[in-house]
Amino acid sequence: MYVEIPLERPDLFDDVLRACSTREPLGAYATNERLNYLFVDGGAVCNLCAARDGADAGESVARSVPLFDWHEREMRDTHGVELTGLPVSRALFVRDGVVPPALTAEGEGVTIIVVGPVHAGIIEPGRFTFSSGGETVVHLDGQLSYSRRGVEAFLEGCDAFAAAPQMARVCGACSVARSWAYARAIETLAGVACDERTEWARLIFAELERIYNHVFDLGSTAAGAGYGYGQTQGLAIKERVHRVCAAAGGHRFLFDAIVPGGVRIGALDAAGALRSDVAKLRSATAEFLDALFGARSVVGRFEGAGRVPRETARAFGAVGPARRASGAAIDMRAVLPYGAYRKLPPEVFSETAGDVAARCRIKRAEIGASFELIDRALAEFGTLPPPPPQRFAAARGRITTVTEGARGAESVSVECDARGHLTRVHIISASYRNWPLVLRAMEGNIVPDFPLVNKSFNLCYACADR
Amino acid sequence: MSNSFTHSLGIRHLVCGSCNGCEHEMNALTNPFYDITRDGWDVVASPRHADVISVTGPMSAAMREAAQRTLAAAPAPCLVLAVGDCAAGEGPWAGAPDAGRGAGIELGAAVVVRGCPPTPDAIRQGLREASLLIGRAAPRADPADEPLPEELPAR
Repeated sequence: MYVEIPLERPDLFDDVLRACSTREPLGAYATNERLNYLFVDGGAVCNLCAARDGADAGESVARSVPLFDWHEREMRDTHGVELTGLPVSRALFVRDGVVPPALTAEGEGVTIIVVGPVHAGIIEPGRFTFSSGGETVVHLDGQLSYSRRGVEAFLEGCDAFAAAPQMARVCGACSVARSWAYARAIETLAGVACDERTEWARLIFAELERIYNHVFDLGSTAAGAGYGYGQTQGLAIKERVHRVCAAAGGHRFLFDAIVPGGVRIGALDAAGALRSDVAKLRSATAEFLDALFGARSVVGRFEGAGRVPRETARAFGAVGPARRASGAAIDMRAVLPYGAYRKLPPEVFSETAGDVAARCRIKRAEIGASFELIDRALAEFGTLPPPPPQRFAAARGRITTVTEGARGAESVSVECDARGHLTRVHIISASYRNWPLVLRAMEGNIVPDFPLVNKSFNLCYACADR
Repeated sequence: MSNSFTHSLGIRHLVCGSCNGCEHEMNALTNPFYDITRDGWDVVASPRHADVISVTGPMSAAMREAAQRTLAAAPAPCLVLAVGDCAAGEGPWAGAPDAGRGAGIELGAAVVVRGCPPTPDAIRQGLREASLLIGRAAPRADPADEPLPEELPAR
């Protein structure tokens, strides 16, 4: 469900502030005509929006609600929205060779350590500037956007169906979550509903994506604690999930497995074989998780590291396992049910410690729940493959759809004209939502724990940069 | 061991606007299924140690300078391996406003591995080709040919 509440421009600030205390904020974006502030309200995505008028610049919401910091700076940098009182004024993106200055701490004994944009491992680019006093991080500044390709502007004017493969490739690690959100946007605008088998297939793809990401995160977090077995075994299990993905959905990362109107032709054509593959994978994964969480010296490193208090997680609009590890049981599959999750609601886990250990425990529990969902979906699915994607005409309109990816809420805002061409696409990824929190989570931790803390979030750069 | 493994390879990976799919597959090369270290190959932490720079992505504008500096920091002989359709200049973001001509094209890749993303096996084939090229193009000097210093440097 998507609801728009058009407001007069001067009222927008007050209404958005009010909404922030009663609803879950999802972020904000601008078009050439309007400003849009997105919330979860009841079971619907609610858009508090106002037409832009040149005379009234308006006030920054980020000044009171920090989570809008990146969103409002992006509105300014991409659409020229000048809000007064932005708490941080520097540019959000690297542009024309100009890298925005890092915010650093000053004082006696403070050392500045700059890392990136090219990192030592096989990692996406970003610049991290640590201000540390001895080993302790006083402040961490992050400069992203090195992977920015200009995705949103590039898609303007594209046919809504032709853009689907590109939506699947904005970011490799959350492709399914984004493709599903995008497919739902185009389908909902046209009033098209998918059949049950298609919806079960989509759920299976989304949960496979969650499993390979969570397993990778846990293996990488183990690596951050110097636990070689955890890293190696995590990578091995991940490889097996990719092979199951390829067999189930025709692609190791399930690119194009979900398309507007359906799923890839040929997907899940051997559900029987998939059942036994998933069962083997499930027991291998359980063995890996038991070993990892049984390694006391490793779990000991997880405990207390990168602690994010409940209020900080809320103030920065954290989503996904990061939010659930800090005391809030918020999962888009449950609060904004879609597709087969309407019939099969997921179990939502939450913890209160907010540290690396809590995020890891949440992911471990979610891996188990994902296998359970896949088992039940395969049982409902039967043996016949899903029908080929429906053909329909894209319809004019505006909508924001949200799915729960491995890292949390993945939203896609789409505006489509009468010819079925996109006039505006805006992607707010879970990683974009959570990056400011990663930087905060490092405060008071030691520099060598950055890999550990960072990998307990394991955020993407491409979908945050776009 | 096959003759094609003529060299150990130090591989430095450079991300230039990739979606991270190619990075996942590069990472897979180190998992126990592919384990490129048994071929004498490894992912190295610095361009100073690199024989091959693997590049991905269409070349995001923000990475152009850092990419060129990374290449300049690598010792010769060192060649560029383009990994993925984006790096080959034909990916989904070719023509996007902040994307370039393909990281592999812009940086003069000697070997191109296509795919979106290419499978780990395909990348492994590309690395093998790179290994052969390095062996042919610039054989390493025999240390015995290097003149010895006449005197040891003073401490």
